[in-house]
Amino acid sequence: MKLRTTTPLALLAAAALAAVSACSPGSTSGGGGDPNAFEFWSMSGIDQQRSVDQYTQKHPEIRVGLTEVGSSQETAQALTTALAGGKVPDLVLIQGDDLPKFLEQPQNFYDLREFGADEIKGDYLDWVMAQATAEGGEIIGIPTDVGGMGVAYRTDLFAAAGLPTDRESVSALWPTWDDFIATGQRYVAATGKPFVDNVPTSVFYQAVNQVSQKYYDDAGNAIYADNPEVKEAFDLALRAIDADISAKLSYASEGWNAALPRGDYAVVSAPSWMLNSLRRIAPDTAGKWDIAAIPGGAGNWGGSYLAIPRRAQNPQAAWAYIKEMQAPERQLSHFLDVGTLPTTPEVYEDPQLLAETEPFFSGAPIGRIYTQALLGLEPFHMGPDTATIGAEFLNALVDVEQTGGDPATAWDRAVGNIRTAIGQ
Amino acid sequence: MTATLPSRQIPAPVGTGRTRGRLPFVESLTPYAYVAPFFVLFGIFGLLPFLFTFYVALFDWNPIGDQTFIGLDNFTRMLADPRFWNATANTVSIWLLSTIPQLALALLLAHVLNHARLRFALFFRMSMLVPYITSVAATVIVFAQLFDRNYGLLNWLLGFLGVGPFDFVQTTWGSHLLIAVMVAWRWFGYTTLLYLASLQAVPRDVYEAASIDGAGGWKQFVHITIPSLRPVIIFTVVTSTIGGLQVFTEPLLISGGVLTCGPVRQCQTLSLFLYEQGFGQYEFGYGSAIGVALFVMVIVAAIINYLLSSRIRAER
Repeated sequence: MKLRTTTPLALLAAAALAAVSACSPGSTSGGGGDPNAFEFWSMSGIDQQRSVDQYTQKHPEIRVGLTEVGSSQETAQALTTALAGGKVPDLVLIQGDDLPKFLEQPQNFYDLREFGADEIKGDYLDWVMAQATAEGGEIIGIPTDVGGMGVAYRTDLFAAAGLPTDRESVSALWPTWDDFIATGQRYVAATGKPFVDNVPTSVFYQAVNQVSQKYYDDAGNAIYADNPEVKEAFDLALRAIDADISAKLSYASEGWNAALPRGDYAVVSAPSWMLNSLRRIAPDTAGKWDIAAIPGGAGNWGGSYLAIPRRAQNPQAAWAYIKEMQAPERQLSHFLDVGTLPTTPEVYEDPQLLAETEPFFSGAPIGRIYTQALLGLEPFHMGPDTATIGAEFLNALVDVEQTGGDPATAWDRAVGNIRTAIGQ
Repeated sequence: MTATLPSRQIPAPVGTGRTRGRLPFVESLTPYAYVAPFFVLFGIFGLLPFLFTFYVALFDWNPIGDQTFIGLDNFTRMLADPRFWNATANTVSIWLLSTIPQLALALLLAHVLNHARLRFALFFRMSMLVPYITSVAATVIVFAQLFDRNYGLLNWLLGFLGVGPFDFVQTTWGSHLLIAVMVAWRWFGYTTLLYLASLQAVPRDVYEAASIDGAGGWKQFVHITIPSLRPVIIFTVVTSTIGGLQVFTEPLLISGGVLTCGPVRQCQTLSLFLYEQGFGQYEFGYGSAIGVALFVMVIVAAIINYLLSSRIRAER
């Protein structure tokens, strides 16, 4: 009889146990107040493992639990969920576009000034630092890299179209975006093939990042609907679509990946972090690429920050890592290894950086080209909905380019969709 | 009947309950304890999150910031939101496109697979399950390549016929068709086996008698197979309605992980819209309101389905 009554209770207890342990996924990993271990969440594809390996080689007593969560968006989502009540990592890499949402709620992160971020913030580009500084002055992120802009183009296809192939002459073909469109029309007329992968990311995203004010004014008011600079970038994109120079392939889609090695488009706007993707997707085209300057002068697309969540178990170890690995000379060596552009202007004149060339891209001096694109940059304010607004503008342009949306009403549709999306 | 009842189940006279000892009381709890594990887990992982969703829907809920009570504002906002109605229309369209052909195909296949003279029947029956056990992600990758505008096999074949190319991902009807094909492809085998299992219970004599009476395959299908499958048809209609209203992975993956599923949200389903608002925009309150709406729709659809199906049964 005893057995019969205890068994269900035991079952209940087991069920409850199972329920409790299932409630906290990921709680098995290290950290736990151990001063020599910390958890690090990164996005995949940008090779943070290399930095971690270098760090642990120098500091064999430190254990770093690196998790590559996924794309930048997935990493930000995982971080949001963690901050809302799960187990947070000690250190997290956040992509620049995702940062404003987190910056709105700085109480979720350590103010890095507590560790002395004030002393090192001068090492980094002012405007990059400003984008990681909350309204109350809290610094929640230290920048690891910036995008920088360039145009990757196929020299063999340019030659076949009767265009110049060396990067100086190619850069001279397009001082402005309208020259870029004209060059595209020449290319299409000569070859009958599309010139650029797509207009929304390769033209609009670049041009709209070359403005002095983007979707917010410096006081943080949303001005996307009235800002003439944004409207001009949008109209430019419409002109480019109208010129019919595009392969109409969404960036990183199946078709985009398939077309790249086949040379079905000759140019693609390539911030420095994209060079790795080009090399990976089209290894057989090595040496057929080169990099020219972006039309319209300086600009930036992308970049990431390291932040320490407030409930981190070992913030000290995470900060030690940030301080050492994001120092100017380490950002330089990371650039030489991986190709992500430093955020520390003092290395921009470094002979090693200036001498860095890239065989895949016909020996292009990528250090010189990409830092050049950053030096004349006018920083703009990023607001909490910068990413959403950008996505809606992009969608409106993709609609015109790929699904036959009416270009005459595209701007109004975009603004209307943004109003629905962000409610202002 | 009452005579066969065990005597101990006859209610004891009032007042003697305590004197009969504690053990029978505990014993009477035993069945509850045995079913408890499921209900405890269901409570923790099913019911609680479910009720919490209703609660969150009443707030402007920032997962990493403030939570403000705003009553039904999320719902009024949702009803005025064109994106919500767009997602609803897409979901219904994809559901119709996938469910009707899927169930019709499954019925036919089950009828054929049940045929007495089919050779290698077991092989064909087993292969029905292959799409079902294939991961959705793998399915999508293959179909996305087949249906690609520029490099897809389908458009290449259509090119020989002198039509196309069609853009299945970026156009509204194309994306709905593509998703519906994937959903139907994944589920038709499962549905077929359900039908087949039911058909096996129908005595062969019935078909043989029908053959002797001169009824052909089609007549047998209409007059024997479909009537004998009515209960399971109702079941599959209800389950595929519930599944169809929750389509998520296929549209997400054909658009390459873009939560809007295309520039004009042409293939954004309700669950994708819910996810976009909740985890893309971090508007948990609004996302929860969409979740509640989805829940209501599933319930209403299930009830309508059930009523319609049972009416058909009653009329025939």
